[in-house]
Amino acid sequence: MWAILLLPFAGSLAAALLPTTSRNAAALLAGAIALLCVGSLAMLYPAVAGGDAIRSELEWMPAFGLDLLIRLDGLTWVFAFLVLAIGFLVVLYARYYMATEDPVPRFFSFLLAFMGSMLGLVLSGNLIQLVFFWELTSLFSFLLIGYWHHNESARSGARIALLVTAAGGMCLLVGVLLIGRIVGSYDLDAVLAAADRIKGSALYLPALIFILIGAFTKSAQFPFHFWLPHAMGAPTPVSAYLHSATMVKAGIFVLIRLWPVLAGTDAWYLIVTTTGLATLLVGAWAAIFQQDLKGLLAYSTISHLGLITLLLGLGSPLAAVAAIFHTLNHATFKASLFMAVGIVDHETGTRDLRRLSGLYRFMPFTATLAMVAAAAMAGVPLLNGFLSKEMFLAEALENHRGTIIDEALPFIATTALALSVLYSVRFIHQGFFGPAPTGLPREPHEAPFWMRLPVEVLVLACLVVGIMPSVTIGPFLHMAVESVLGDATPRYSLAIWHGFTRPLALSVAALIFGGVGYAIFRDRLNAFTAVPLMGRLKGRRSFEVVLALIVSGARRLLALTGTGKLQPQLRLLVIIACLAGLLPFLRYGYEPGDRPGVLVDPGFALIWLVGCLCAIGAAWQAKFHRYAALILMAGAGLASCVSFVWLSAPDLALTQLLVEGVTTVLLLLGLRWLPQRHPEMLPRTRRLSPYRLRRGFDLGIAIAAGAGIALLSYAVMTRPLPNSIAGFFLENAYPGGGGKNVVNVILVDFRAFDTLGEITVLATVGLTVFSLLRRFRPAVESVRAPEQQRVQNAFDDRSEGREVGDTRADYLAIPRIIMQWLSPVILVFAVYLLVRGHDLPGGGFAAGVTMTLALLLQYMAFGTRGVEARLRVRPMSWVGLGLLIAVATGAGAWLFGYPFLTSAFGYADILVIGKVPLASALLFDVGVFLVVIGATALILTVLAHQSIRTPLTRPRSDAEPEAGEL
Amino acid sequence: MEAVLAIAIGVLTASGVWLILRPRTFQVIIGLSLVSYAVNLFIYAMGRLRVDAPALTGAEQAGAASLSDPVPQALVLTAIVISFAMTALMLVVLLAARGLTGTDHVDGEDGE
Amino acid sequence: MKLALADHLIVAPVLLPLAASALMLLFDERQRKAKSFVSLLTVLALLAVALILFQRVVSAGFDGGPAASAYHLGNWPAPFGIVLVVDWLSGLMLLVTSILAVTSLVYSLSRWERAGPRFHALFLLQLMGLNGAFLTGDIFNLFVFFEVLLAASYGLLLHGSGPARVKAGLHYVSINIMTSLLFLIGAGMIYGVTGTLNMADLALRIPLVQGADLALLQSGIAVLGVAFLVKAGMWPLGFWLPATYAAAVPPVAALFAILSKVGIYALMRVYLLLFGGKVGWTANFGEEWLLYGGLATMAFGTIGLLAARTLSRLAGYSVIVSSGTLLASLGVGQGAVLAGALFYLVSSTLGLSAFYLLLELIERRDTDPGVRAVVEPVFEDEDTDALEEGESEVGVVIPVTIAILGGGFLFCALLLAGMPPLSGFVAKFAIMHGVMGLGRDISAAAWTLVALLIISGLATIVATSRAGIDLIWTPSDRPQPVLRLWEAIPVGLLLLICLGLMIFAGPVMRYMERTGRSLQDRDGYIHAVLPAESMAHRESQP
Repeated sequence: MWAILLLPFAGSLAAALLPTTSRNAAALLAGAIALLCVGSLAMLYPAVAGGDAIRSELEWMPAFGLDLLIRLDGLTWVFAFLVLAIGFLVVLYARYYMATEDPVPRFFSFLLAFMGSMLGLVLSGNLIQLVFFWELTSLFSFLLIGYWHHNESARSGARIALLVTAAGGMCLLVGVLLIGRIVGSYDLDAVLAAADRIKGSALYLPALIFILIGAFTKSAQFPFHFWLPHAMGAPTPVSAYLHSATMVKAGIFVLIRLWPVLAGTDAWYLIVTTTGLATLLVGAWAAIFQQDLKGLLAYSTISHLGLITLLLGLGSPLAAVAAIFHTLNHATFKASLFMAVGIVDHETGTRDLRRLSGLYRFMPFTATLAMVAAAAMAGVPLLNGFLSKEMFLAEALENHRGTIIDEALPFIATTALALSVLYSVRFIHQGFFGPAPTGLPREPHEAPFWMRLPVEVLVLACLVVGIMPSVTIGPFLHMAVESVLGDATPRYSLAIWHGFTRPLALSVAALIFGGVGYAIFRDRLNAFTAVPLMGRLKGRRSFEVVLALIVSGARRLLALTGTGKLQPQLRLLVIIACLAGLLPFLRYGYEPGDRPGVLVDPGFALIWLVGCLCAIGAAWQAKFHRYAALILMAGAGLASCVSFVWLSAPDLALTQLLVEGVTTVLLLLGLRWLPQRHPEMLPRTRRLSPYRLRRGFDLGIAIAAGAGIALLSYAVMTRPLPNSIAGFFLENAYPGGGGKNVVNVILVDFRAFDTLGEITVLATVGLTVFSLLRRFRPAVESVRAPEQQRVQNAFDDRSEGREVGDTRADYLAIPRIIMQWLSPVILVFAVYLLVRGHDLPGGGFAAGVTMTLALLLQYMAFGTRGVEARLRVRPMSWVGLGLLIAVATGAGAWLFGYPFLTSAFGYADILVIGKVPLASALLFDVGVFLVVIGATALILTVLAHQSIRTPLTRPRSDAEPEAGEL
Repeated sequence: MEAVLAIAIGVLTASGVWLILRPRTFQVIIGLSLVSYAVNLFIYAMGRLRVDAPALTGAEQAGAASLSDPVPQALVLTAIVISFAMTALMLVVLLAARGLTGTDHVDGEDGE
Repeated sequence: MKLALADHLIVAPVLLPLAASALMLLFDERQRKAKSFVSLLTVLALLAVALILFQRVVSAGFDGGPAASAYHLGNWPAPFGIVLVVDWLSGLMLLVTSILAVTSLVYSLSRWERAGPRFHALFLLQLMGLNGAFLTGDIFNLFVFFEVLLAASYGLLLHGSGPARVKAGLHYVSINIMTSLLFLIGAGMIYGVTGTLNMADLALRIPLVQGADLALLQSGIAVLGVAFLVKAGMWPLGFWLPATYAAAVPPVAALFAILSKVGIYALMRVYLLLFGGKVGWTANFGEEWLLYGGLATMAFGTIGLLAARTLSRLAGYSVIVSSGTLLASLGVGQGAVLAGALFYLVSSTLGLSAFYLLLELIERRDTDPGVRAVVEPVFEDEDTDALEEGESEVGVVIPVTIAILGGGFLFCALLLAGMPPLSGFVAKFAIMHGVMGLGRDISAAAWTLVALLIISGLATIVATSRAGIDLIWTPSDRPQPVLRLWEAIPVGLLLLICLGLMIFAGPVMRYMERTGRSLQDRDGYIHAVLPAESMAHRESQP
């Protein structure tokens, strides 16, 4: 049984792998697979005919009570048979229909995949699985319809079909989930057993609506019908398959499947019946005005689907029987009709009714076949269409709910049927009779035998069923009906002749009206290019308009709800952060703690008076006087530095100070590349009020943020310290970490992993800076050497006996000597910091930065080239080395079976004495030291190098802007 | 003391935030550094304030209570380093941006 | 305590890439072959490690034993030293990360690594940051690793330079620096009130916080949450995301697909650990914010999808949608949804990554790759080795390019739209099933979430079908794109994995279920991290 399901997919894969030219192989493969499946299905018939369902499960998602479940009962058997049998005929037909230049294997691959998903849909024993395959059919129908994607109609048709049916599928999913929630299981049997629970539930209506939307979109019910005519861009075999037996019938199938659990309520009756009626009329009406044969068939399909839906809507068992029966009949004659049209198209090169005529004498066989099939569609006696139509009329005459619909039904039904007679007659008469056609693209002639064969088979089926229904279709129909209705199965007879009944009268009337109508209107019908009354609501146009509206609306909305600018984003960020911080206080209120505060020292207050002024000044000046702003910022930094000293955090003070220095130098190096800016440069618009307004707003935000954080910190500072983890560190720093400077011990031992990450960040940033500046593009005006140098050089030019660059060579002569002497001292100091770090303020980072400062001095003194001529500056490798040392030190602990970064000092007593001469933490700190030097040096030097990189445009000249700047 | 420090943090933050919301890259970078000063002080403050009690234990166990909380200090040290790195990166990025877009406006085009 | 060598495997995901990239710094600029080799080796090793750790969690966990295992760095006891924790969630994230790492790296080897210097080192550092963030059990250490991965991401984003990238980079950097400062404030306050940084310890101490301290603690956590939400790209904090991802070179963007999930992860971890419990005020603290924020994000992402003009923007907004979906499902907040959400997280991350890899291949035909964006060199020592050999064919050029691209694109679209046959369908179904299963009647929020799931899916179909039809089906005189085997394979691999997720949805879902439950039973995690006596001691306190 699984084989039936899997074969088509396997086949589709295989076909996809075939070379594009091998049409026969692909066709053979497809045909063989279809036949195989039909065969194995036939073998399952006896088991199913017994009346009970065969189930076969594979565990899939037990968590959700979801198992892959094949469930084969009468209805599914019949549907599966239709899918496969017609599938086979279509394959056969397509083999001769498709042109040689088409990449046929792809076609068959899609076709097989579609067949497989259709089978899966029909056979699936739980609703989720059903939805799964449902969506797959949408997907593959999209691919099939768009098969000839080089022409536009196919593309758009495919897209419309996909969007509509996929949307429906998602609705179906929701509906099914609701059902699952009501029933507590997605298993079909469980669901079918819980009919009353479902109808009684509060969620019944939403579930119903969602499921119906799904079904209606799929089987092209009004107002979702518009995708179907546009799907006619597909190759005819595809239309023959999708629009007769499969795609559109999927919706019908779901309706029939869930009929027992959903049907019978007023909601069902009203929605389904009215939709069916509307579709029936709209389809039939539109069909008579079509000039394109396929268009005509498409709309007739819509109207027949409407008829079936209507029957299901009525909710009486007999109506359901009629619906199932008509589904089968429609599949057969519609498939054959599509194929016949395909032949006509293939042989004459056109499908335009107005150009075609008198084809009978060219292709008698095809014509006859088409005629019989069309007659079946029109419901002429002795054909299968007649029988189900009779049932339909009988039901139409029955009174179901006593609503207005019931009253009107007989007339509406008759009208619709008359219309269907009309377009059938028109199709046949204009196509095959009358004078010989003129000016056709191709000289028409009979189609090859193999192309006709499928049509013949189907038409034969129509005839046989039509003449002796009870012996041919009878048992199958009964089986299907019973599997749906169970005990509720009504008595019905498939006899052709029930005597002179009202249904018969109605259908005769329909035939007559239809015939007469054609006789009267035939010529006028040809004049129409659009469908009257419905010309307004052109499905596709409005659909695309709606899409366009959605998109443009979305764009407008996006501009409204989003922004690409930085300031608004930062603004939002700050505001939201402030709110987030504020909200809890609204709930619990704000109160400072009662911890006895440290009494204020005027000196401290004074420092911060200055510091705050600096900060504000920086904020004030940053726009036009960058240099000043920079210095002021440094001032603020110093203030915080001093306060660290004051508040007994020497390490912080030291580090802050050093970083301060480096940062300043860095920014100074950067200043050169920024554009000049003076107040008078401002465009006038800046003075306008919105600008003022924004500034005011920002000021508000800034003050709010400042106040907020101030209050927070105050509240925390005035609370007693909770019993924090700090105590442990203070106690264990010396015994456990072997250092007196707890902060440093934390950094290199307790929380050394943080430090590892921290130096990694430093290294990464160094790398980033490096690789970014490799592609540095200075703005044009800042490429020239700085003014000072130009002046100096100019001076050299003017005064005789001086080479260009001499002045700059002597420039800063004295400071240079001082710096030269200073450097070694600093070096020593740095090493000292490093070594003592574990016990006194200092440590790897501080040492590293100090070292860098020394290097910096060298650069200032001798200029970039000067320094690099003397000592090899390879920061990149220093960084690498440092990282490796740090990692290696940490990993060393593994050798002794301890976790990463376990410090050696901690267990020196356990180990062989003298195992580790110095606390491994110090080694780790050396790694930090190296990384810091490397990264900082890397950043500084790379930035400095920008000035001596010689633009290709102008001759090489050593520029040392940093010498100029500092 | 607490109050003073709190106010200081507040002022630093305020002026920093103000700068961050400005349209020129240089203003933004200065602003970020100011805010990071504030944040460093803030974290430190989370360990409460202590005067002349550095977190240095003598070999002889000084009572832990008499020392200032070392944890926030360690955190601040890490934070200082990272914010230094980020400032450097920011600087380079803004230089590159200025070079490639021809302006020092944060959105790469002039005139808000 | 002493450990067997195998126990040290937990740090490997952090140390391996670090050591490897450090090694590469010693190499010279030009030895690309060697570097590629080293980094490929490292990434594969990472995958292996991740698999082992994952397998350990599974085997331990499904035997009913404690799945979570902690690694005490520096051999210091738990609340004091830093711990790394592998449990259901982090194991999963590690695995996903390493998969993305492999695919993105392989993809990059065929051309993009040459777009600028020092690609591999940065790439590996990025991985280190990600893994560390997933592993650590310490708030401040989490911050450090956030910084590592951010710093690396800056580098990778700017890889290849060019105006677009630098512009996006400027925004990305400034926003994220600000965010990091918020993170610091939040973490600082949490320490200030509770006096600890270890997550498990926090989980124990937070319920004990009383009175006005509550307000302080909550506001600290809220600020922290904002930082996470910026990472996750929640509306209105996520505008930077699509532009940034679109600017990055494809393999980097493909790796970034996990970046936005780090924020989500941090939320899940911290939020559920600290407030998963149903004690006092901590119960469902801030849940509604996650929910509404998530819904808004989904809506915004959907709008973006419809409005997107380029494939890369489309992908960017899909990232937003997926973040939104996750946030919302977190906010709805019952275990049933959690499992679905986790499945969705994995599936959407893989799908997005594949999409990012693919779209450049598709657009390569008409828009020439961003590498070319670099203008003529201005300086003599300019590094301009990016493209000349970037064009040289690496690997075989596949003939049936269009078919493959089309297929790949189709699958990605289906995956993102939540249509079968790939895992997207299961993910969406699982979330909806969970949401609808909640409570006696379905809340308005649940309905909105379902509706948005559907609508965003439809929007994805609308957008992708338009783009796909225009780019792939519409006949044009564009040259056939050159597709190299080694660019196609990673995409195929990712899609295959998604197919696998679909087929083996059963076991995968069981894993997600357990993960969801483990996130909710906090004690399991706490027991794994803290020594037993300290727990007893804490519980005796109140």
